[in-house]
Amino acid sequence: MSEIHGAVGSYVVNALDPDEREEFEAHLAVCPTCTREVQEFCETAAELSLLASATSPPAALRSSILSAISEVRPLPPELLPPEPSAEIAPVQPSPPTAETAPADRPIDELALRRQQRHTRILSVLVAAVVAAALALGGVVYGLVQARQSQVAQQAAETELLTAPDVKTYTATMKDGGQVSFVVSRSLNRAMFVGKGLPAVGVDRTYQLWTLEGQRPIPDNTVPGGGDRKEFFRETLGGVTGLAVSVEAAGGAKQPNPSTIQVITELAA
Amino acid sequence: MNGSSLPPDSEGGEPSGSAVRFGASSSRDTGFSSGWETGAAQLVELITLCSRGHEEAFAELYDRTSQRIYGIILRVLRSPDHAAEVMQEVYVEVWRQSARYSRDKGSVIAWMTTMAHRRAVDRVRSVSSEVARDERYAFHGGDREIDQVWDGVEQRLDVERVRRGMASLTPIQREALTLAYFGGYTQSQVAQLLKLPLGTVKTRIRDGLIGLRDALGVEA
Repeated sequence: MSEIHGAVGSYVVNALDPDEREEFEAHLAVCPTCTREVQEFCETAAELSLLASATSPPAALRSSILSAISEVRPLPPELLPPEPSAEIAPVQPSPPTAETAPADRPIDELALRRQQRHTRILSVLVAAVVAAALALGGVVYGLVQARQSQVAQQAAETELLTAPDVKTYTATMKDGGQVSFVVSRSLNRAMFVGKGLPAVGVDRTYQLWTLEGQRPIPDNTVPGGGDRKEFFRETLGGVTGLAVSVEAAGGAKQPNPSTIQVITELAA
Repeated sequence: MNGSSLPPDSEGGEPSGSAVRFGASSSRDTGFSSGWETGAAQLVELITLCSRGHEEAFAELYDRTSQRIYGIILRVLRSPDHAAEVMQEVYVEVWRQSARYSRDKGSVIAWMTTMAHRRAVDRVRSVSSEVARDERYAFHGGDREIDQVWDGVEQRLDVERVRRGMASLTPIQREALTLAYFGGYTQSQVAQLLKLPLGTVKTRIRDGLIGLRDALGVEA
């Protein structure tokens, strides 16, 4: 039995220090025997916890927890894609938020890895671009090796994402939607990427705008709800900013000042 | 602290103090006993409902499991204030992650207990300097750790099973496992406390779990 394998018990009872834990988890990812043993031991440890004796938590805690969860949305289930159709090789998907990551390591580690692998192409691309943009000071090189069915769209996205001067501007819209504008001056193209866009109703739509100084030029529209991406129709010559508003279905010629969601100024 | 722990709302018909496992009734029960067995299917149902946003199901899940989860958190942390905070973190996380639970990861109670123990231990380690957990307590109190665990427990069948399982281990396996699991010590600290080589402690912890698993007949 290799030494690392022997740490499985200590891993389950959380008796490893951070370095040892990391080392073991790396091993765990490739060792089905340990994976199975971890799972069995987690059941055993749960039984062991019975010896801690049951103690009623304070009654106030119950109401505090119940009111806390009413403000938290359960995560969506992991989707199992038909096949892993896209791999982003060199960039780590963005890590789960620091506060939640360690929650359930022993059992969920594999699921987490699986999920990271299977994260839909959109969020992977965004994560990759953002991560790399942060890491490389805004310049992204050779990020993407994507194979997708929508070849033309994908090729355009790949070209944009791998452009040497690609920049990502992220912002939160008034309605809470997370948006990124992926912009390459050398290609003269920009793409809107929305994550978790609120629904706007069937009779309304998000509308993209390019701004030339103070002058808004209507661009493509994007339906609300969920994750969306859309290229700007306009090329970027003379464009100083990008904006999004919510308009009646079909779009508008002039943005409605009250429904402007976000305005982002672009670097020259 | 370890007295009769039936909650006030145990009117669901389970004879108090008995070791009856809760069956298919949906009534509240004592929650902490044998959750992984007959209650397991119900917990799966509840967690499934949670994943769809049913807050009442979450409340029931809380009522069924909170004594047990709080028990282990408090046991590791000793401080009710820290325990309450970790408890809240854990249950909010259970709610958030409810759709990510699946049966092939094991039982709901093991999933939750693992999360709770992990967070409690993380908390112990992150606050240990600030709270100055008395290392000497444990150093001289290795036996006391074990006494506490062994003394105060109820005479319930489940607990008895686990106690018997623990009794079937060698003293060193039992001590190493107890210090690590209930004491929240790292294997290196356990080695120091027991004055044993790290490799030995590592092996004893694993052997202890194997022994306990086999004694309990737990299936993953």
